[in-house]
Amino acid sequence: MSLSACSSSSSSSGSGSSGGNVTIKLLAADYGTAGTSNSTQAYWQGLADTFHKSHPNITVQVQTIAWTNWAQVATMIQDKQYPDILEGDAPQQFAADGLLYKLTDVMSSSTISNLIPVFAKQEDGTDGAAYGAPFTTSARGLFYNKKLFAAAKIANPPQTWADIQADAAKIKALGGGNIGYGLPLGPEEAQGESYLWMLGNSGGYVDSSGKYAINQPANVETFNFLNTLVKAGDTEPGPASTNRQQMWDAFSAGQVGMVGGSGALIPDIVKNGKLTTSDYGVVPMPGKNAPLTQTLGVHDDVVAFKQGGHADQVKQFLDFVYSDQNQIAFDQEYDLLPATTSASAALSAKDPVAAGFLKNVPNSVVYPSNTNWNTVLAKLKQTLGTAASDNASSVLNGLQTFATSNS
Amino acid sequence: MTQSTQAGLLEPAPGSDAPQRSGVRPVGGGRRVLRALAPLPWLMPATGLILFVVIWPVVSMFLTSRQHFDSMGFDQGSAGWSNFTRLFDEPDLPGVLMRTVIWVISVVGLTILISLGVAQMFNKQFPGRKIARWMLIAPWAASVVMTSIVFKWMLNPSNGTILVLMHDLGFMKNYNSVNWLSQQTPAFIWEIVVAIFVSVPFTTYALLAGLQAVPEDVYEACRLDGAGAARTYWSITLPLLRPALLVAALINIMNVFNSFPIIYEMTGGGPGNQTSTTTLFMYNTQQTSIGEAAAMSVVNFGFIIVVVLLFLRASRWNSAED
Repeated sequence: MSLSACSSSSSSSGSGSSGGNVTIKLLAADYGTAGTSNSTQAYWQGLADTFHKSHPNITVQVQTIAWTNWAQVATMIQDKQYPDILEGDAPQQFAADGLLYKLTDVMSSSTISNLIPVFAKQEDGTDGAAYGAPFTTSARGLFYNKKLFAAAKIANPPQTWADIQADAAKIKALGGGNIGYGLPLGPEEAQGESYLWMLGNSGGYVDSSGKYAINQPANVETFNFLNTLVKAGDTEPGPASTNRQQMWDAFSAGQVGMVGGSGALIPDIVKNGKLTTSDYGVVPMPGKNAPLTQTLGVHDDVVAFKQGGHADQVKQFLDFVYSDQNQIAFDQEYDLLPATTSASAALSAKDPVAAGFLKNVPNSVVYPSNTNWNTVLAKLKQTLGTAASDNASSVLNGLQTFATSNS
Repeated sequence: MTQSTQAGLLEPAPGSDAPQRSGVRPVGGGRRVLRALAPLPWLMPATGLILFVVIWPVVSMFLTSRQHFDSMGFDQGSAGWSNFTRLFDEPDLPGVLMRTVIWVISVVGLTILISLGVAQMFNKQFPGRKIARWMLIAPWAASVVMTSIVFKWMLNPSNGTILVLMHDLGFMKNYNSVNWLSQQTPAFIWEIVVAIFVSVPFTTYALLAGLQAVPEDVYEACRLDGAGAARTYWSITLPLLRPALLVAALINIMNVFNSFPIIYEMTGGGPGNQTSTTTLFMYNTQQTSIGEAAAMSVVNFGFIIVVVLLFLRASRWNSAED
């Protein structure tokens, strides 16, 4: 009783490091396999230990949760088991529910200004203030199988939709059940693959003013094109039920000519052992008439909950976490990309594969940040894939109605 | 019948209170109430359990269907009836309802037809009958989720055993050219097949028990009257099997109506909601709106109540005829 009273008074009056002993709880996503040295638990525990040496009165308690169990986080928050820091998928809704610190309360201004602007901007709540920071990012490109391209006598990787169509048809014509273009529009990540195609026709989920425009004519045209691809058998059968991981596995097994992927596909290829580094290439995603100059950038976030009341300690820890060295260590472990400008520059200098992806990151396109995006996203995952094999415009109209009426 | 028994239970024992019964109203009314309440301590645990595990969730489900929850599951206050109006406005709903009816009727109907045949066979003496009876337990003993996943992999477009067989027999030219589980009609048919596969064992055993209870002398009398095999089956076996059939049908209807794992594992109700029944639709809706999903459960609950009432009517008619 007296201990807790003492520590809370000292931490509020003291200047952070001079206060009593404080434990802050960190809840993070596991990007590796739990229980192995590749687990993200090991990464965070390493950081926590190093940090504890220089800040003996702050202990960071680490807990990681597998992505497949991520729904558990929402349950924990509903049960009021708030962590001090959450890293992973942290929707705007947390800020709207009034649970989060403003970013300026828990991160020093020098760290904030180092965040890659396009992602940092997305953390803004409806009041214009940011409630979180990007932690790790990834960018998309088109992976193609050079062996299959050589067998089908295709000289160059595709640049346009027409190229994809022609190349996919040639790869399929090789026989043996190869898949020309892997089009994963199943519930796992229908929104990502679709977005890459929409961008190729200057479409997207929202218009320039940020309002939903899922059924804009450009998108309808895009999905009509996908319909022709699917009908001709240039893709795997039944894209609306095919998940990204299945297509990545099939690509790693050497059965797919082209597939959209991020750096996270590389460990799969290595693990499968069918393709060597010279057997596949990565190029910008083709668009309708030319390759995309912007790519889809995806990021996972860090947010701080204010129920624990440890803003000072969280700030010191986060500034430590966002140092170049710690950022790069994380991204090299999981083939992801940093969220800070200085770490990106440092990583580009020493890793050519990452440099290829990083080149496009500063002008990448991100998902909408409308407050109901999370709800719309769940609907998109379930439904969007059917637009590639049904009547595209009626599916997209239905989604537009859903997005605008469920605010 | 049942009513009179209950009334009898509540009445005082004939010996002690017999004189008072003829009087206007007993003076010791308090004692009578106390007596009537006497079984309460014994009934309390069971009643409490029912209130806790049956009634409370139902009430909570109704309350949830009238609340507005945000995407993180925080309660944002009352939603009135808007969850219901939104549910009934869902463009997918009519298809989902129709599929649910097709699902229940075809799975239960075919299961019972197949089980009638299998039970008849298992009721005859043949070498290896014991082993055959044991083997039929396998689909029942295996986890439904596991069975569904096995079927899903058997139908995998690039290396599923069913497709490998078709390919090797020359029915299919290339792998990756057909994905049944991503097309509405084939996917739903395969799901019905799996549902029948896991329902047949229980139904067969229920009917087998019924068949074994038919007395041999009825058949003997039938033979003496010169009835043929078809006539015997129609006039003797089926009518005497009715109680077993009704039980098997009711349990199957409830099971199949509420069945979740088969469709969830094989297609997740997808693509879109094209292979969803109401149970799957409820789950998929929950990802976008908890309140609307609760409204769907209320509707489901209503369906089940109607089915049970219909069954109770049918079974009373049955016992009256007996």
